Amino acid sequence: MRDYLIKRGASALVTLALAIILTFFLFRIMPGDPTRTVVGDFRVTPEVRQMLVHQFGLDQPIWVQFVLYIRNLFMGNLGVSFQYRGTPVTSIIFGRRLFNTFILMGSSIGVALIIGIIVGTVAAWKRESRFDISTVVFSLVTYSMPVFWLGMLIILVFGYYLGAIPIAGTMTVGMTYSNVFEYAADYLHHMTGPFVTLTLSFVGFYFLIMRDSILDVFTEDYMLTAKAKGLGDRKILFRHAMRNATLPMVSLLAVEVTYLFGGATMTETVFSWYGIGRLIYEAVVMADYPVLQGIFVVMAVAVITANFCADIVYAFLDPRIRY
Amino acid sequence: MTQEQAALQLEEERFWVYKRKLRDFWRLYRRSSLGKVGLVIVLSFVTVALAAPWIAPYDPFTFVGDPFLKPSSAHILGTDQVGRDIFSRVIYGTRISLLIGLVASTMTIALGSLIGLISGYLGGRVDNVLMRITDLFIILPTLPLMLIMASILGKGIQNIIIVITVISWTATARMVRSQTMSLKERPFTEASRAIGSTDLHTIARHIVPNVFPLVFANGMIAIVDAILAEAGLSFLGFGDPSQASWGMVLHFADIAGATVNGYWWYIVPPGICIMLLVMGFAFISYSTDQILNPRLRRR
Repeated sequence: MRDYLIKRGASALVTLALAIILTFFLFRIMPGDPTRTVVGDFRVTPEVRQMLVHQFGLDQPIWVQFVLYIRNLFMGNLGVSFQYRGTPVTSIIFGRRLFNTFILMGSSIGVALIIGIIVGTVAAWKRESRFDISTVVFSLVTYSMPVFWLGMLIILVFGYYLGAIPIAGTMTVGMTYSNVFEYAADYLHHMTGPFVTLTLSFVGFYFLIMRDSILDVFTEDYMLTAKAKGLGDRKILFRHAMRNATLPMVSLLAVEVTYLFGGATMTETVFSWYGIGRLIYEAVVMADYPVLQGIFVVMAVAVITANFCADIVYAFLDPRIRY
Repeated sequence: MTQEQAALQLEEERFWVYKRKLRDFWRLYRRSSLGKVGLVIVLSFVTVALAAPWIAPYDPFTFVGDPFLKPSSAHILGTDQVGRDIFSRVIYGTRISLLIGLVASTMTIALGSLIGLISGYLGGRVDNVLMRITDLFIILPTLPLMLIMASILGKGIQNIIIVITVISWTATARMVRSQTMSLKERPFTEASRAIGSTDLHTIARHIVPNVFPLVFANGMIAIVDAILAEAGLSFLGFGDPSQASWGMVLHFADIAGATVNGYWWYIVPPGICIMLLVMGFAFISYSTDQILNPRLRRR
């Protein structure tokens, strides 16, 4: 177990180092003067610019810049934003936006995961039945829809025609709330559209993976043992098959952490959800490179950490894979 | 029998083996109703793409009427904000989506296979380095990376293809690598090496033909991903505005506020086209996978 931990930890650190190196160079191959992309934007005041040139060593050779970049990174300094006129990147990312993204992504991924696991298990159990085929077709259909288009449809039908959901934002503009529940209700009302869009877009994928995983488990010897012991169908399915088949979902979930931190750019843009996903889109459009670089580093750290945790959890849950 | 004749006979046997395999594949494929539906959908879109100039009633790139006309007999899906015929634009969009889907996925599986073959066949340090890079690309957030690359490279179809290729080769590489590693240890590749074949010959003759079926199945999914990626990038405004791809039509619909004004004819048709085409390829991929992937064969 110790060797396994060390091996996994080392490989996570190597990937992290690669990711940080990549982000450093990615934003220096941007067209134009490299110092420009980091601080030399007209939206930043000369005083702030002077400070940044010093902090990030922009008048020095590239390897010095790299060392300073790493140092600043460890001190939590990701530079300042162009479009928000010198606001530190960290305070833009870690604030309201990350909160909104967390709530939206967490709830939709969670609900999609639960539905996917349960429906996937049942579909695999009744393989080739009408239920199985229709759920497979449904997942392929939802998988085939571009997520931004699904969002547009939901706005069109439920926002424009039925007037049931607000079409943009996270709360009603100009509304005052008498208590926190009213605020929460308004917030959730605004979240309905993006939540439904994202849940639909995730659920098909989870379903197909779960179904596949259960079908795999069915071929295992312990399933035969369970059947031979005379256990009921329901017990075999939910006690033995589902629990084992959920294992691959752990590593899948680790990859989904990207969404938890990075949001869903398409959906957040369509619904004007004030989150990280939309921030990414705005930053690309406004050429706000420091913000992009910051989000990128945060996402990379989050995903790599999550993957490492998933590996550990996996090893505890399934002792067979400790190689 | 001279050596030449023997070689010729071997060639011929090989041909028959391939032909039989292909026939077997087709026999199994025909049984899958999803697969047949998928094939029909894709072929219909190919027909539309080829016949676009004859089907489309107007030139999709010029102004042919007043802006924001509602659907009528003259303009089946109305006109957009500058007075271009939406129906004609959707018809022509088939070309871009198919083109990008096919080219980008071909390049994706070519790059992925190359890296997978090198990594799996050579092993050791090369494998280690290549797999670390693969891990990195798998782990990094796809869409943000695509957006950043697209904004570095600038607008244009060829740039979208490059972006999609660079982002999506990893799945193929991983699969080809593991297949190559297992094929490398089989007796027939060992025999090939034992009689003094070069590595290149062994790879081309014994490994590539055996990985190909899985690469092919993977290619179908690569097409799906490429079409969706193009739609998304174009929708967000990173496509080529002078081309009428489906994502581009939806981008202009979004700019025109089609959702909040209830212009369903501007939103629904291009999206349905994307969905159907993607579904067609997804169905084909699903049925192909059921046949070619030994793990999924009927248990």
